Amino acid sequence: MSAPRNGHEERGTDPRPENPKRLPRQRRGVVPQMRGRYPDWDVLTQVDHWDEVTRRVVLARVDDVPPIRFFDESEVRSLGTFCDAVMAQTEEPRIPVLSFIDDKLFCGRSEGFQYASMPDDQETWRLLARGLDERARSLEATSFAEAGVDVCIRIIGELQRGELSGGVWERLDPQLTWKVVMSSVLDAFYSHPWAWNEIGFGGPAYPRGYARLGVGLKEAWEGEEAFELDPVRDVDERGLDL
Amino acid sequence: MQTFADGDEVDLVIVGAGAGGTVLAQRLARHGWRIVILEAGPFWDPDRDWVSDEAGSHHIYWTQNRIIGGENPVPLGKNNSGHGVGGSMVHFAGYTPRFHPSDFETFTRDGVGADWPISYEELKPHYERVERELPVAGQHWPWGDPHGYPHAPHPVSGAAERAWAGARAAGVEMRVGPVAITNGTFGNRPHCIYRGYCLQGCKVNAKASPLVTHLPDALAHGVEVRAGSMAARIETDAAGRCTGVTYLNDGRERFQSAAAVAIAGYSIETPRLLLNSASARHPNGLGNNRDQVGRYVMVQGASQVAGRFPETLRMYKAPPPEISSEQFYETDPSRGFARGFSIQTLSPLPIGWAEHVLADGHWGLALREYMRDYNHWSVLGALSELLPDPDNRVTLADEHDDHGLPVARFDYTETDNDKANIAYAKQVMREIWEAAGAQDILTIDRYAHLIGGARMGFAPESSVCDADHRVWGIPNLFVADGSALPTQGAANPALTIMAESSRLAERLIAKRVDANAHRDDSSTPAPV
Ligand SMILES: Cc1cc2nc3c(=O)[nH]c(=O)nc-3n(C[C@H](O)[C@H](O)[C@H](O)COP(=O)(O)OP(=O)(O)OC[C@H]3O[C@@H](n4cnc5c(N)ncnc54)[C@H](O)[C@@H]3O)c2cc1C
Ligand code: SF4
Repeated sequence: MSAPRNGHEERGTDPRPENPKRLPRQRRGVVPQMRGRYPDWDVLTQVDHWDEVTRRVVLARVDDVPPIRFFDESEVRSLGTFCDAVMAQTEEPRIPVLSFIDDKLFCGRSEGFQYASMPDDQETWRLLARGLDERARSLEATSFAEAGVDVCIRIIGELQRGELSGGVWERLDPQLTWKVVMSSVLDAFYSHPWAWNEIGFGGPAYPRGYARLGVGLKEAWEGEEAFELDPVRDVDERGLDL
Repeated sequence: MQTFADGDEVDLVIVGAGAGGTVLAQRLARHGWRIVILEAGPFWDPDRDWVSDEAGSHHIYWTQNRIIGGENPVPLGKNNSGHGVGGSMVHFAGYTPRFHPSDFETFTRDGVGADWPISYEELKPHYERVERELPVAGQHWPWGDPHGYPHAPHPVSGAAERAWAGARAAGVEMRVGPVAITNGTFGNRPHCIYRGYCLQGCKVNAKASPLVTHLPDALAHGVEVRAGSMAARIETDAAGRCTGVTYLNDGRERFQSAAAVAIAGYSIETPRLLLNSASARHPNGLGNNRDQVGRYVMVQGASQVAGRFPETLRMYKAPPPEISSEQFYETDPSRGFARGFSIQTLSPLPIGWAEHVLADGHWGLALREYMRDYNHWSVLGALSELLPDPDNRVTLADEHDDHGLPVARFDYTETDNDKANIAYAKQVMREIWEAAGAQDILTIDRYAHLIGGARMGFAPESSVCDADHRVWGIPNLFVADGSALPTQGAANPALTIMAESSRLAERLIAKRVDANAHRDDSSTPAPV
């Protein structure tokens, strides 16, 4: 699947502009795009301490990525681009977000609610693919996937702010669509152990538990934070909110 | 486990093995009642069926479809009711505060909400008993009717330490607890191991749910729990009494005969079942001659305010429920709205925190950057008392579930008093974080906890059941769950739901309510 690339190649250990200066490169295990704050933390080194049922569920996300069965090829192109852009997955290694969403929709696993003005989740995702392409064509691109990163980001911003109208968007409330689909995207991304490495999450801890609870403390086996920056100011200074 | 045949008329069928249903069964079984509980979900084995994982826990929530509408639609699914033996407490956070005495008479005191047909004093012995049975851990409680707890308070995490220091500096009193989490071993239940997955089901069995607190005793006293059994209809006879429950088990329709029925399916499913039980004699559904079923469903305003600190706090450790304050629980006219709110720590896991960041408007690179900072945040949540409104209601939607039964639609719209309460609560939480020295603060809106929909009251014109939980007009049909509560205060509801069932059971056992008495729909309950 094609994804928006920003064209900046990595030079040695120099930070790329989409990351804060000095954000370390991962040394152990995998994090999406290989940069996080805990360069020596690999939650997967802890699997022997997890209970068997949890281990199976979590490892399947790494070792047994479900095949695409719900979306067609063209939907995969636009929605793959969408998932990469909303999670800023600019290069490999990527968490295969769309594969997990496809599996959920294929198996008909429901969230347990549906907005009265919206179609069900399966229909919402299919219409989203069409709506993104429609909007991209109105901006002179051949499709959302081919539109290039700036156009994609612009369209996603319009979706989030509820500024899309006409065509598919007469049937699909853009802001509710954003809520519905992003809930699945976040579920897929932050349930993946590579994302736990990136953010320094200790992960499942049964039967071992956690013992060192206080401010600034960590278990002996947990990862050390190697880089710290208040994201509120940083995101603001670098103008990352779109 | 004892089993009964469908045709065997048991003394009571209970729909739903959750907080309300299980306590009722356990109490009555000890007095010889022959009881079947029909539970739509599975009979859980915590070790085999639950995981230490957010995304892997959707099967413990009620995820069959529901339609949400109104001006402030309330997302359901993982944020609401459970599905399986133990009910919603399987994934509840674990806070178990009592309601305040004022909650039982908000209309008299403050001119809002509704008075209950029972008082705090009537419930108090049951609060005390259920607190011992769960058991509840916490510091001495200075608010409402001051009281202590059977288990000592748990140690708190770094995230809660920061919140507590801020609260002290801002002049807000907080206390540790009250949580239904063992602090020390309790029978065969071990000590909490501070792993933080309370909302995904406690594999350790340290956190209370009816599955580990009241069900074992109920089974030992002859209750049958029939899991995988979805109640479709309560059946009634020509005399207007109910005769049992039609349910779906393994794709087959079956009928359990019973002398009395108690519905305990929680605030969406209980009204849905009453509505789906319409018949020629009850064309609008059971107990709905006065168009009251499904009305006055409430949620609580559960806004979250997060503070950012230079040190790592790793809020995923320890149970999410740690410390709380009820300083703002009661009406204070100077605030400009009626009733109040409480404040509690929440500590979301990564997916929960990502939803918070998204709700604050961040995606793409910004979202990733906020998430990389996960370990530096601590989160406070409010529980704002939102007032009951007749138009906030459950009705039947056009859509059907896998069994072919109409699904519920839940419409919700806030009142001006609700909006003012939520805004004020957020301001207090921001002041706590400022006083704590937080470098930055993120605020989002959300809802928690369902209550009402089949409320108890003084007359059939304005309620679904009476002070004894008996549905108006149907002498042997009871509502024994959160849907019977007329208001919900600013306290988490599970303890009150259990205490209510404990009280109902006591009255049934003492024959102060006669499940066989005949009354008609217009009578008021005899004073008791
Ligand atoms: C994320 C979350 C956190 C929470 N945290 C807290 C907290 O910290 N403190 C607190 O006090 N409360 C909390 N709650 C709320 C609390 O869990 C509920 O209020 C309480 O469990 C409701 O009790 P109940 O008896 O009314 O229903 P439930 O416990 O929900 O039981 C209802 C049962 O009925 C079954 N059922 C429904 N319909 C049918 C049918 N037709 N046929 C057969 N079975 C049926 C359901 O499967 C379910 O098992 C939380 C809830 C959630 C979702
Ligand atoms: S933190 Fe304690 S109570 Fe919560 S799930 Fe873990 S062991 Fe159970």
